[in-house]
Amino acid sequence: MIVEDEVLVAITLRDELESAGYQVLDLTDRHADAVAVARESAPDLALVNIQLRGRDDGIELAKQLKALDIPVLLISGQVSRAQSAKTVAIGSMPKPYSALEMVAAVTYLLARLGGKDSIVAPAGLEVFVSTTDDLAPAA
Amino acid sequence: MANLPIDAEHAVVSLTMAVIHESPTPLLLLDGELGVVGASVSFCDAFGIESATVKGCPLFELGTGEWDVPALRALFSSVASGTPQIAALEIELERPDFEKRCLIINARQLAYHDICHPRLLMAVADVTDARANSRAKNSVIEHLGVRLEEVRHRVANSLQIVATLLLQAARRTTSDETRDNMNEAHHRVMSVAALERQLSASPAGDESVELRTYFTNLCSNISSSMVDDNDNVTLVVTGGGLVTPRVSISLGLIVTELVINALKYAFPDARSGRIEIGYEAQGPNWTLSIRDDGVGMPNDRADNRTGLGTNIVRALAHQLQATVDVAPGTPGTVVCIKHVKVALVSGIKDEATTALASVGGSVGWRSSRQ
Repeated sequence: MIVEDEVLVAITLRDELESAGYQVLDLTDRHADAVAVARESAPDLALVNIQLRGRDDGIELAKQLKALDIPVLLISGQVSRAQSAKTVAIGSMPKPYSALEMVAAVTYLLARLGGKDSIVAPAGLEVFVSTTDDLAPAA
Repeated sequence: MANLPIDAEHAVVSLTMAVIHESPTPLLLLDGELGVVGASVSFCDAFGIESATVKGCPLFELGTGEWDVPALRALFSSVASGTPQIAALEIELERPDFEKRCLIINARQLAYHDICHPRLLMAVADVTDARANSRAKNSVIEHLGVRLEEVRHRVANSLQIVATLLLQAARRTTSDETRDNMNEAHHRVMSVAALERQLSASPAGDESVELRTYFTNLCSNISSSMVDDNDNVTLVVTGGGLVTPRVSISLGLIVTELVINALKYAFPDARSGRIEIGYEAQGPNWTLSIRDDGVGMPNDRADNRTGLGTNIVRALAHQLQATVDVAPGTPGTVVCIKHVKVALVSGIKDEATTALASVGGSVGWRSSRQ
């Protein structure tokens, strides 16, 4: 799931992820829409921009998604804000990123969520948790 | 007036009291019971105390008792117990109808012969204005830090959108040449973006760029899109150094151009190899080198036409007051961007002069194959 207020950025990211073989849910840019999509589809990973449409806040959304056991990768140019959200997200990717870096980040995180530790983290990605168990959603 | 014999001890005491009285720094001379023996005019003026009432008054009863501060009691207790001096104890002095003052108190027991009559000297510095200025300055710095992060956030978002547009254009065009051009433009934008990202992650106020990290990130980005899993070309960064963002952005773009050029032309037919990006600095002089062990430059350079990458490298080198030297490697090609500001060793002045004179000179490498 991609929650991003810049539609061009969201579309490009979706295209790259789909080219890499991932299924991407409908794009959203609002907190409420994202929660509704997440409840309905339970994505394996949510890519959430910290700044959302209107005054919606990606970190607040991340808290709610965490409560739904949906892991969140925060995306933002606001490095200090992303750093302040280490307890609600599993990692952050600072903007500006290349689409391929983001695909590599998704591949890495999904592999670790699936219990694989062998993949090397791509450049730019900061992972907030240290073990695969920490990454896995609560049972 | 008759000349009366002056008692030497009386003269010393009189001189001491005069020194205390006239001190521009607020001072109190206290006895062993913390009673005031003498006070400077500056002390009385600064803290609104009648100079006529001060002598003999206990310190903690001065004024309306505002000097009876627990921290000050602790300080004098410590001094009385033998600690010769407590440096820079800071207290807040509150007086009715006056703004709170921030004071730094220094107290020490005076060392002199009359051990039966200990004396303590208390000096007071009013740092209220200095503290207020410091708070205001910190507030401005904090505000500027927030503004800087906002600006960086906007720059990051804008670069992300520009990169996205270029990538979308590259994906949708049917022309291979246009796609290559768009992808190269995307790499140039990402070169700037990588620098912004590195600066955003730096501690506030740190505006230097560590080149090894920057070049490594650049190479990782270029490699992820230009080197597929079947290729066996390795990108290696050696050396490093700290430079300003302005210099680093030019160096980053030069590295981007030269690495893309090497990846495109030095390793045809799935040839394996290595591209080494090196940066060495000595004082103000530095050398950036991009060395590959590929097929080398074409023999016939007569047809060389100047491509965009060549122009970018040439222009940026000129901006950096650096020379560009393209030479055959053994094997491959070595491109050196050299900035020589001063001759470091006696006798090589000519080299520096020649280097500076040739800044912006001609450069061309594999552009004939573009």
